[in-house]
Amino acid sequence: MATDAKTLELRQLLNKQYKYIDRKWDAVFWITAAFVVGAAADITKQLFAGDWDFWTDWKDRQWWPIITPFAIIIIGSALQYIQWLAWRFPTGMTYTAVCMFVCTLIGRWIQWGAFVYYPMNFVWPATMVAAAIFADWVLLKTKSFVLTSIIGSMVFAFTWWVSNYIPLAPYLQPAEWMDRVVTVADIQGIEYVRSQTPEYLRIIEHGSLRTFLGETQYVSLVFGATVAVAGYWVGQFIGRALAIWPIGRFMKKW
Amino acid sequence: MLRRYRRYLWAALVAGALVVSSALPAHAHGERAQEAFLRMRTIGWVDVNFSRDTVKQGETFTITGTAKILDAWPTNLAKGNPNTGYIGVIAPGPVVILKERTINGVSAPSRIDIQKGRIYEFSLTIAGRRPGRWHVHPSFSVKGAGTLLGPGQFITVQENPAGFTNDVKLVSGGTVNLENYQLPFVWIWLIITFLIGMAWMIYWTVPKRTVTNLAVTSQIPLNTDGMAYGLITKKDHRNMNWFAIGTALLLVAGWVYQAAAFDTKMPLQVIQFAPPQPAIAEEPVFAKAGLGQASYDKATKTMTMDIDITNTGTTPMELKQFNSAYLKFVAGGTAGPGAVTASPQATVEPGATTKLTLAMQDPVWESELLVPIGESQLLVTGIMVFETSDGKRNLTEVEANLKPRFQ
Repeated sequence: MATDAKTLELRQLLNKQYKYIDRKWDAVFWITAAFVVGAAADITKQLFAGDWDFWTDWKDRQWWPIITPFAIIIIGSALQYIQWLAWRFPTGMTYTAVCMFVCTLIGRWIQWGAFVYYPMNFVWPATMVAAAIFADWVLLKTKSFVLTSIIGSMVFAFTWWVSNYIPLAPYLQPAEWMDRVVTVADIQGIEYVRSQTPEYLRIIEHGSLRTFLGETQYVSLVFGATVAVAGYWVGQFIGRALAIWPIGRFMKKW
Repeated sequence: MLRRYRRYLWAALVAGALVVSSALPAHAHGERAQEAFLRMRTIGWVDVNFSRDTVKQGETFTITGTAKILDAWPTNLAKGNPNTGYIGVIAPGPVVILKERTINGVSAPSRIDIQKGRIYEFSLTIAGRRPGRWHVHPSFSVKGAGTLLGPGQFITVQENPAGFTNDVKLVSGGTVNLENYQLPFVWIWLIITFLIGMAWMIYWTVPKRTVTNLAVTSQIPLNTDGMAYGLITKKDHRNMNWFAIGTALLLVAGWVYQAAAFDTKMPLQVIQFAPPQPAIAEEPVFAKAGLGQASYDKATKTMTMDIDITNTGTTPMELKQFNSAYLKFVAGGTAGPGAVTASPQATVEPGATTKLTLAMQDPVWESELLVPIGESQLLVTGIMVFETSDGKRNLTEVEANLKPRFQ
């Protein structure tokens, strides 16, 4: 049958040994792309959600779960499209997550720790790895970018918050300070001098959302998940229109 | 050819070394980059004092002083109506830490409500953190205007052989060191999640080929996992399910741990209030100033201001200081840097209006770029401090048109 012949041909093609293209090129790709992807993801995060990611005293119930998932899903989505399309790997989001983590960690350690002496427990970077694994897993299971954008993005936003709330928890404990009770994170924010970032610039806790029975956190999570869907499609646009399409102009078939 | 390029290379290296070696260390915070009117017409700083200039790590010093939001506040900053402010510290990063802040006698951890014309007496208790010699300023940040600097001073922080801790008392009991509190927990968590991600990546990239897959994927639809051709296998699906389950279990475990270990938590706090008026603001107003005329003599580096001063009180008042931006000129001494001379005399009798001529001969006007010639607002603004014999004090704002000499 024609279908079987085609399948056989593709199976053979998958295992074909090439003379000039070998595993070295795989390593070259993954390693060199890591810097580009990590930097792109980190810059995108900093552009949209810099301060929320930099400081513990910006990681609030309202804005942090809305802004940051939107910011960090963009490049992951683009890589997810590229790596699924080209190699059928459900790895784009996770690859972005680990590359960004290394880039961000180096940045925090050197720029914020070694150069300007902020304690790392004040400026630790959020992790998107757990969220990325679920987003890639959803793509693997659904094999659909539409479903991944809806289910995967929402799971991504929720998982991202859970995986970062855990390390944040110690810094949300109440402490006595300057005749008040505030969180440990608030104290970090005031005591460790941020010269050109006066406290009133913090964009946190701008409303109480009492109409939702005061469950601010969960309303923000739902809204953040919705916004992440939009962010996912921004990433898809980048992957499809700015990365793959121009390459496709020079390829025989895509 | 190579010799020629080598010459260029050496020249570039020498030029680079010269540039780097001739650069002076930066000790200030760009205060001179702010236009003169921005420094003179926004916040008036009076009697700013640093209690010490040398501390060990963990030892504290205080910065006290008075800041007045001037009535001359420019209309183009904060829409002419400053309403939220933050009195803080400017330093090269957290080389010092802020341990206590009072404004007008009350503890003020964070931002405050402010109004034009109001006076804020502040006290900042600061602890040394990083050994070194650091330039430190008090600052008054105003929403919509930015951060305005007060008078700065070098602080030497010496190493403490006992080390440095930054202790904070938790409501639940116990004291924690903010320098590294729960940092191991954060690292462990971040590294574990990172390792899971790396394991996921290694699973897909090490046993499987990458680049050559394109030959197959380019011939099959997007919405397929290519199982028929061996791209993704059932085993891959099964293993990825285990990855997802393992990650979910890790999150559950982490959640249970944080809920048990840190059971009392609260949202981040936003503190904003209007500090009470200080005692000086309750004093009766006895000194009034009209719009003055100012001139600057570049040859002698002397700023001269003619101002009509009225004493509406019942006792004689005497000029004690003139403050402009972060400069302070003290009356009663001999002419020279840091001094203001008043003629015909520094004392104004009750009920009298006197045209006072203030002269301040000090190169600091030029070195601090506070002579606004060349700027769009030719004004000199400051605060005159008058005192009566019974100790009453007025901070009288004065503004003078500067007449430049274009020779």
